[in-house]
Amino acid sequence: MVSNKNTPVIELRNLTKRYGLGASEHYALNGVDLKIKKGEFVAIMGPSGCGKTTLLNILGLLDRSNDGEYLLDGKNVERLSSHRHAIIRSKHIGIIFQNFNLVPRLNVIENVALPLTYKGVSHTKRLEKASEILKSFHLSEREYYMPWQLSGGQTQRVAIARALVNEPSLILADEPTGNLDSKASHIIMRELSDLHKRGNTIIMVTHNPDLTSYASRVITMLDGHIATDTAMRKPKKDSSIKRPLHTAKEEK
Amino acid sequence: MRLLIGTHIANAYQSLTANRMRTVLTMLGVTIGVASVTAILALMDGAVNLVGSQINQLDGNIAVIRSGAHKAKDNFSLSQTQTQYSTTTLTEDDLLAIQDTKHLAAVAPLMNLRTSLRAYGETLDGTNHSVVATTPDLIKIGHIEIRDGQFIDSVSDANTAVVGPQLAIDLFGTEQAIGKTLRIRDQAFIVIGVLKRTNNPVNYNDVDFDRSVLVSLESGKAFTQNVAQIQQINLKADTKEHLPAVVASVKKTIKENHQGENDFSVLSGQEIAEPTSALFRGLSLTSAIVAGISLIVGGVGIMNIMLVNVAERTREIGIRKAVGASNNDIVWQFLIESLAISLGGGLAGFILGYIIALGASAILPFFPAFSWPIALTAFLISVIIGVTFGMYPAIRAAQKDPIESLRHAQ
Repeated sequence: MVSNKNTPVIELRNLTKRYGLGASEHYALNGVDLKIKKGEFVAIMGPSGCGKTTLLNILGLLDRSNDGEYLLDGKNVERLSSHRHAIIRSKHIGIIFQNFNLVPRLNVIENVALPLTYKGVSHTKRLEKASEILKSFHLSEREYYMPWQLSGGQTQRVAIARALVNEPSLILADEPTGNLDSKASHIIMRELSDLHKRGNTIIMVTHNPDLTSYASRVITMLDGHIATDTAMRKPKKDSSIKRPLHTAKEEK
Repeated sequence: MRLLIGTHIANAYQSLTANRMRTVLTMLGVTIGVASVTAILALMDGAVNLVGSQINQLDGNIAVIRSGAHKAKDNFSLSQTQTQYSTTTLTEDDLLAIQDTKHLAAVAPLMNLRTSLRAYGETLDGTNHSVVATTPDLIKIGHIEIRDGQFIDSVSDANTAVVGPQLAIDLFGTEQAIGKTLRIRDQAFIVIGVLKRTNNPVNYNDVDFDRSVLVSLESGKAFTQNVAQIQQINLKADTKEHLPAVVASVKKTIKENHQGENDFSVLSGQEIAEPTSALFRGLSLTSAIVAGISLIVGGVGIMNIMLVNVAERTREIGIRKAVGASNNDIVWQFLIESLAISLGGGLAGFILGYIIALGASAILPFFPAFSWPIALTAFLISVIIGVTFGMYPAIRAAQKDPIESLRHAQ
């Protein structure tokens, strides 16, 4: 999926997600329009239940919208089969979770190599690649640890390594620091910030306003709508806290 | 399509060894089922081969004539038992008529009498022993050998007998029975020979020679008002090549004797063994099918444990889907796991089945036979059980919603 510079990595048109039926029906997403360009680091903020996690799940092709269009690299993916979705997830999307989600039975290197399995990479190649990426996260000496032998920060770094191993065009992070103390949080954020600087597109959902300082763009959501959309100045210092209050201008 | 078989196998190994006790107990269900089927089939083959191999040992130039029309090959029934009670259609006339057939090397009738035997104080009531009236040629075509003394012949006294070794022990307390006297219905016979032990109670003569007294046809007739009641006539052609010709001309001769009726059958080769083999096969297949029912229990065990497996690993399924596993990948992962259980159990069952069969052969007159069809049967049974009972849990695993699964507590 090579796209020209002007094609957004993600384009959402009037994306809608409903839950429930009849009287209990409510909208998790109510007509979301959004464009995200290659190389952006987008932080999505908002109160619980505003639909940000639902949005991320749909972006990650783990969920489907009821209405609207989702263009990934200029291609409409919303109505593809779940088999095609799995292939797209495998090739183009890396997901980082709040609760890390490493497979407890597998050791660190096998966890990192897992996405490559479904890409059809051979066993040896998988481990080589995983080892390489763990080295760049300074986790080489932890390769054969089991997930429960790692600290929270280390676990999340392993999870980030796993999200990156298949060289995705899009990295999705759902509250990546939600289960970490502030010190570990900043290490993780520096890693993500680093990835951003190397040209990766990152979309991060967070509760923590401190973390928006790492982002290049901050979106706040409310009741299934995008409330604000702010481009941030970069680079940021770790201490700076910025809360976007004004409505963003439309991205072009 | 990528199947990732190697990965799934490694995965199954890891997952199954992580819960060793559980895996072994689940396998046990399949093991017991496959073991019983294997043991029964192996013993069946052994029993079928028993009679068949005797025929083979006779250089393939033997034929037998039996009373009644020949049963169709695949039509197994218990009518063999019925023929025991029907009057034979074979007569002494038939025997005389075929004596001069070209290329016929030997011919011997078998007239089987069940009557009591006595010697000194000992009486045998005839339930386990038989008196067989025959001609001297039987030694050439009865698959028997003389250990001591001589076989009955045309020149020796009519009141002489040859005894089987077990009968000698039962009657005289020793196998050294030559010169001793036994009584059949108060008619005294002098033992002139003792047979070599055959350990073959099941054979194409339908006579356990170890427990028989052989007397001449003349002596035998004396007990049935001078009419020979011949159950079977054994034939031997001079060479294997001449057997079909001999069979054909014997058929023709006897048919003429019987006014054109086909109320007898001339069997050669494996046909001779067929009635016995068919009986064994029928009984064994019935018991194998009954034993196979236990496989369903094993299969249910697999399904049960796989459902537990899937439930326990809901989160893992979610993670795998999130990193790019398709539904097919998940189906294969769990299907291969259940196949690993059933194949492992099947292999153990196959080995255990032969151990049981060998153990059972200690009290049976034959050995279990090894054959590829049995191995194939065990293998196929295992695969079918694994797939049949593993499919539902695997599909359930694949259909799990990734978001729900990821939210699932570990």
